[in-house]
Amino acid sequence: MTTPAVEEYLAVAFRLQEEGDAVTVAALTQRLALSHASVSLMVKRLVQEGLLERGEGDLRLTADGEQRAAEVVRRHRLAERFLFDVLGLAWDDVHDEAGRWEHVLSPAVEERLDGVTGHPDSCPHGHPIPGRVSTVPVELHALSSLQAGERAVVVQVRREETTLLRYLASLGLLPGARVLVEQVAPFGGPLLVRLGSARYALGRDIAGRILVRKGAR
Amino acid sequence: MPSWHQGAAGKESRRPHEQPVIALAGNPNVGKSTIFNRLTGLHVATAYYPGTTVEVAVGTARLDGRRATVVDLPGSYGLGAPSEDQLAARRALLEARPDVVIVILDACNLARNLYLALELLDLGLPVVVALNLLDEAGRAGIQTNVKRLSELLGVPVMPTVAHRGQGVRALLAAALRQAEAPRSRSGPSPNYGAQLEAWTSGPLAALEATEHQWAPEGLSARGLVLLLLEGDEEVRDLARGSAEGQDVLRHVLALEEEWGRLLAQPPALVIAGARHGLASAIAARCQRRMPLGRRLRERLWKYATATTTGIPIALAVLAGLFAFLYYVGGFLSGQFDRLWGATASPALDTVTRFLLPGQAADVLLWGIDAGINASLAVGIPYVLTFYFLLAVLEDTGYLNAVAFLSDSLMRRLGLQGRALVPLIAGAGCNVPAVIGTRVLSSRRERFIASTLMVLTPCSARTAVIMGSAARFIGLAPAVAILGVAALLAGGTGFALNKLLPGRPGELIMEVFPPRRPPLRTVLVKTWVRFKDFVVRATPIVIVGSLVMGVLYETGAIWRLTSPLSPLVEGWLGLPPVAGLALVFAVLRKELALQFLVALALVEYGGHVDNLRLFMDSRQIFVFALVTTIYFPCLATAAILGRELGWRSAAAIMALSIGLALLVGGAANQVLLRV
Repeated sequence: MTTPAVEEYLAVAFRLQEEGDAVTVAALTQRLALSHASVSLMVKRLVQEGLLERGEGDLRLTADGEQRAAEVVRRHRLAERFLFDVLGLAWDDVHDEAGRWEHVLSPAVEERLDGVTGHPDSCPHGHPIPGRVSTVPVELHALSSLQAGERAVVVQVRREETTLLRYLASLGLLPGARVLVEQVAPFGGPLLVRLGSARYALGRDIAGRILVRKGAR
Repeated sequence: MPSWHQGAAGKESRRPHEQPVIALAGNPNVGKSTIFNRLTGLHVATAYYPGTTVEVAVGTARLDGRRATVVDLPGSYGLGAPSEDQLAARRALLEARPDVVIVILDACNLARNLYLALELLDLGLPVVVALNLLDEAGRAGIQTNVKRLSELLGVPVMPTVAHRGQGVRALLAAALRQAEAPRSRSGPSPNYGAQLEAWTSGPLAALEATEHQWAPEGLSARGLVLLLLEGDEEVRDLARGSAEGQDVLRHVLALEEEWGRLLAQPPALVIAGARHGLASAIAARCQRRMPLGRRLRERLWKYATATTTGIPIALAVLAGLFAFLYYVGGFLSGQFDRLWGATASPALDTVTRFLLPGQAADVLLWGIDAGINASLAVGIPYVLTFYFLLAVLEDTGYLNAVAFLSDSLMRRLGLQGRALVPLIAGAGCNVPAVIGTRVLSSRRERFIASTLMVLTPCSARTAVIMGSAARFIGLAPAVAILGVAALLAGGTGFALNKLLPGRPGELIMEVFPPRRPPLRTVLVKTWVRFKDFVVRATPIVIVGSLVMGVLYETGAIWRLTSPLSPLVEGWLGLPPVAGLALVFAVLRKELALQFLVALALVEYGGHVDNLRLFMDSRQIFVFALVTTIYFPCLATAAILGRELGWRSAAAIMALSIGLALLVGGAANQVLLRV
């Protein structure tokens, strides 16, 4: 039986590895805001349970540990997605809230969350959601390649230009925004894109820099 | 080049305004101008806020003997993005230093609109919200709990239906209350969640530990930190200028680095995401949507923007406009002329001749009788009709649909779809249209758009075409002149796009749903613009007519025309006096015809229809064509110089004169041979 405390350690180790940082007692201490002593103790226990292994000066998740950690992180990020997308919680509240959900979700609820949020690939902050068995790579399309009548979710805006990025942001064209392409003007003209109750005409170049995932959710 | 009101150079203490200053902020098309007009009455149409770099409309609002200055900020979606509109709004806001900001929200699209409100609250400004377009939201099945919105935002929220004037008085009262309330440095600030607040606490503490003399005045510490984090170059530059600022900036950069690692996003996006999250959450908590069937205007909208139906509709609308202008303008012109000829003209004649000796009376009659008669017959009817049509077009939102459809065509002319709105406004008057090119993203586009505008007949020039070619030789030649002008403008745009380095900017434009234009708003808009036209035009017309009268009565006119005669008579094939009319018309374009008509009146007496007495069809055609293309008018030249610099202005003027002589001469030569 994995306790919430163990899950918390595994998740933090998972995030550190994901970000390419070394998993060390010091790093864990800092992230978890706990004392060095209690972290050392827990690390020792996790090593004994075969979830962590010691490397050269740092720690690594074992295969077993990594799988369990991925489950926790998956639940966390799915919960964030749900809280943000469906319940409309503020972008910034969802992390703390999901921190509680990640320990209590049953596999059935997890699956429903996944369905309700449209099998998302990333949390509202843009981190990938680990898949249970294997992640099907999601195909990203340029918004400009969509036909009239197609729906999509903004995944990423290529960020060469901060001016454009901030302008789009002020319009609400941010990752996670759901859009419907209503019209495509002829002769390489702009796209008419619906976002909420607003419509925007976007030139092909700009639409080409907005990467989306096709589908309603 | 920081343009914040206060720099590091010296911090003057906050001077209380003589009367409270209220700034109006809001997204485009939320009824901001309507509220502005309602608040200030029609006393001030457009004025410029003194001492600012940004031109904004300013007026005075009165309530129970109290007065307040109202500053209408440019419409924008936010204040942060370094795009023209948002920078302009922000600069105007900071330079006006308002005691209260009324932020006008569209109840139909509350979530997006709240973004701007949150941004203003973030800056620590005292805010009153006007929740506008409630009638439209109601029709769309959206119900809003106003009290709840007010609680969630922590500021007063006043419901309004501005075009009917509902709630505007209460809004003003609420704004004045807020303006007169003692300023607390910590107003309600949006809460983006514990995590973001915790993250920003570092730089905030560093900032609050100092006096931050470097910072622009009137902004809260929190607002400054957010601006710094968002990567605002203006504020960052100010911060770099002092040791204290550099210290705060170090904290900010450390946080930026951390966010980049943790969130894989630049801070500007992190904050924008947080703001949108909060805005959506607030909107969701105070609005309910009832599903309604697909409404008529949604369908209309679809037809207007779809390729197959949209283009024929656009052409039909254009033809309809032209026909309306031709018939209604022509009708008004005839009526005004008849009325003047039957009543005022004989009366003026009798009185003037009774008071003054022969030749002096003749000169005076040139100015007051012939001058005003010409205005009534030529300038006023067509200009009035045009302004009415323009107001209808603007207020239905149809121009948006056309901008969307025409973007790919406009790109070939070196512009983008957005340029269509100022271009069409340019068909009303070039002066505000040239100012309106500020919405375009680059200098290149502004230059091209201004050039095309100068070549597009404004309402005064259309009046000349209508009053001469259409009236005396028929509708087809008038259409031909407009066609030639359109071809010239198109060809020029195409050539400029090829010749000038660079390429047109990309289109990002909100496309508004069509609206039934409120009649009152349309009439008010028409009247304000028309009044402006008459007030400016009439004195010039009268003085110009008087000068013309002196020249004519003394016979000097014939001596003056002789130097121009090779060009005017030889190349263009016009009567010599037409050349003089063309020279005078640089003051105001409609003078070109008015002088000729006035001359006809004095020379031959009787009705205005005497233009044919000294010009044949070919000459009328060439005259109208040349008038349409050459040199727009002095006011346009001045505004071009101011907006684009004198070299660009001179180039545009030279181009227009050259093209006019070329095309006019060619037309003359061709017609002579037919």
